[in-house]
Amino acid sequence: MFDTALFPITWRVTRRRLLASPLAIAAGLAFPAFVVWIGFNDSYETAAKFFFFLLPHVFLIAAQDTVRTDIESGALENVLFLGGRFRGFLRAKSYVLAAAVGIYACGLFGLFTAWGLAAGAFRPYFVIRFALGLLAGSYYIALAGTLSYFLRAGSNVLALLLAQSAALIALLFSATSRTGFLDYAASGRFPGLGPKLLFGGLVAILPNVVVSGRLLVFAAEVLTGLALSLFVQNRLARALELGK
Amino acid sequence: MIEAHRLSKRFGPVEALRDVSFKTRRGTITAMLGENGAGKTTTLKIVLGFLRPDSGIVIVAPGRVGYVPDRPAYFTGLDGRTILGLSDGQANGNGKDSGARILAVARDLLFDPALLRRRPGSYSAGNAKKFAYLQNLVAWPDLLVVDEPFSALDPPSIKCVRDVFCGLRDAGKTVLLSSHMLAEMERIADGFIVLRRGSTIAHAGLREWRLLRSVRTAPDLESVFLRLTGS
Repeated sequence: MFDTALFPITWRVTRRRLLASPLAIAAGLAFPAFVVWIGFNDSYETAAKFFFFLLPHVFLIAAQDTVRTDIESGALENVLFLGGRFRGFLRAKSYVLAAAVGIYACGLFGLFTAWGLAAGAFRPYFVIRFALGLLAGSYYIALAGTLSYFLRAGSNVLALLLAQSAALIALLFSATSRTGFLDYAASGRFPGLGPKLLFGGLVAILPNVVVSGRLLVFAAEVLTGLALSLFVQNRLARALELGK
Repeated sequence: MIEAHRLSKRFGPVEALRDVSFKTRRGTITAMLGENGAGKTTTLKIVLGFLRPDSGIVIVAPGRVGYVPDRPAYFTGLDGRTILGLSDGQANGNGKDSGARILAVARDLLFDPALLRRRPGSYSAGNAKKFAYLQNLVAWPDLLVVDEPFSALDPPSIKCVRDVFCGLRDAGKTVLLSSHMLAEMERIADGFIVLRRGSTIAHAGLREWRLLRSVRTAPDLESVFLRLTGS
């Protein structure tokens, strides 16, 4: 499936870009600092809620710079990518980026777990929440990667953030007519098809809501979305040509 | 080494190539000539796998292939040394013990090795072109494809690159060049392919070209080219 000879260059390009992105660095530093601040000012339990809910957005912020920039820069028309290998490089980027941010997330989760064990507040189901956070984060990278075939660097992430903001604002303004919706979401039980579909739509653009672990059906939706995004990316890469 | 058979390619309403066929032989330098928009770069990109033909096939003999684009571009975050290490690693399996070879090729190209500490995006156009040659030549390709081989180069560098092409040919390697510099091509090429408006209008070895010159009483390649293309 993958051209393994491409992993060194994919890894180097991904790592350099992450380290050169002020936004990615800021998000990577601000996220743990914010969680620690919540933990000290409130409780480890509250910090855990924020940690798991916000974790997928670290993946999203990291997914700014992917396909369109590389195509337009001309850097893919290089001896390293002859014979259509540029397609393999673009395909591998999402996986390498997910692995890089996943390693960072595992490191943070290790520290967070150590803190919880020392404080006697760690719960075993946090592991499931973390796994769901990784799933939601991977979905973000796949979705932003697919969008980046059409949108330039940063615009793909911005489009998703705007869609999320619009959805949350709409939810807020229609709260009175949707009495109980947030309660359903919190409990993981939906009384009818309408609320289920509505929540499914929210999950498609804000998969963070599945990290509670009570919404496994919707976690399956995120998994399906991840597979679909990767499938679409694969098709787009296969059809891609350089230098038109 | 390369056999292209009836290549056609459209970009929307524009017919870029129409039934382009040619062959290049191992151990030769072949020049692809044509006016602007004749389809030279499109043909090269199909040979290299960056574009797919709508119809027709290209067969490239097994071996390492190198490519120097007209205006090379690189990933912004990587310095010259890292890019060379990746190229060498991909071609030779690892990036070790390549220092001496890189220095030797850099010397042949009049490329200052101190520049390798910088990112190629910060190089001058000439040095970026020479770095593209360096990136390819450290892997010692069996087939080298070059788009506008002398663009942005100064006269001493042009001579060095010309010597590199001849060195490759003498070593049994194949070189395919696309250029507008007819005088330079006439000096080094063994065969010519002329494209006009997406079609092959001439394809000949040096002997045939010389014959064509004498028959048409054209003094040089430029005159033959202008007559052939009706420019």
